[in-house]
Amino acid sequence: MKSMQFENTDLADALNVLRQDEAHIEAPPHVEAAVLAAWDRAHARRREERPRSMWRESAAVAAAIIIALGLGQLGRELQRTTRAAVTRAAESRTLLLVGEPILQGEPVRVVRMRVPASTLTGLGVRSATGDAAAHVDVDVIVGEDGIARAIRVGM
Amino acid sequence: MEDATSAAADDPDDADLMRRAAHGDRDAFAALYRRHQARVYRFARLMTGSSTAAEDIVQEVFLVVMRDAARYDPARAALTSYLYGVARHQTRRRRARDRQFVAFDGRRPDSSEPVADDDASATLERRQTLQQLRRAILSLPRRYREVVVLCDLQGVSYSDAATAMGCAIGTVRSRLHRARHLLTQKMGRTAPSHEDHPGLTERCA
Repeated sequence: MKSMQFENTDLADALNVLRQDEAHIEAPPHVEAAVLAAWDRAHARRREERPRSMWRESAAVAAAIIIALGLGQLGRELQRTTRAAVTRAAESRTLLLVGEPILQGEPVRVVRMRVPASTLTGLGVRSATGDAAAHVDVDVIVGEDGIARAIRVGM
Repeated sequence: MEDATSAAADDPDDADLMRRAAHGDRDAFAALYRRHQARVYRFARLMTGSSTAAEDIVQEVFLVVMRDAARYDPARAALTSYLYGVARHQTRRRRARDRQFVAFDGRRPDSSEPVADDDASATLERRQTLQQLRRAILSLPRRYREVVVLCDLQGVSYSDAATAMGCAIGTVRSRLHRARHLLTQKMGRTAPSHEDHPGLTERCA
């Protein structure tokens, strides 16, 4: 038979006893060891990652510089080569193929024309004077079918 | 005056320790752990009824502190409220994982703890009452269990409990009232009587 009445005051007393009973309870020492070990692991990893990421950043910067320098050098080289080719073309009588190649023994006609330098620039030949508005004398080699086969530039 | 200053320096506040921990100060983190582990452990243990689960929850809580120390804002909440909030969250996660609570293991925290009463009968009755109360608390719905554990057993103020639980103080009060009522009912139903143990008086006499 459970006839005992449990009143609010009894509950307050019981809670008080439980509070006192719990007051000394702490996490066992191995929990602290585990938590601090986790701290050490996490911070050791961070210490390792920091120099590694710094090295990575330095390598990326160095690579970017090398690529930039390389591209710059390549650009200068291309400019130099192109300029030389243009100069050579300008200095010599350059033959520019513009259509079907001329067959051996094919009868051709040469038509002398005066064209704007910009026309030659479109074909990859720059005027020696650099003046796009200037006119240049060229020899247009025309095949038997009346189609231009080549242009000879004699600037 | 100098003593007071040096004492303050020796015993930095929680916010200072959290700041130092956020900057990688291991000693500050260890000091925080030692200062607060017991209340987190007791809360988790009373909420789950398991010392093993409570140990896991303490670890989880301090791993969160380790990770998020830089984000802690002392202006928003006292560290104890923050820790109870994290512990509460971890307890819920743990429960979701375990699905059901394991039985309270009743482990004594300290074997050197003095015996409360020389009278074996009174001691036994006290233990029975505590066991029943623990069971009754564990059987409460979570929202009621939290307020009883925080306010009645951990001595947390209503205001701090409200912060930890993310609710209004009025809600804490009403939940606590309801929780106590439920506990009284449960304890009344299971209150031990000597008639349940007819041989007890004779054996202990």
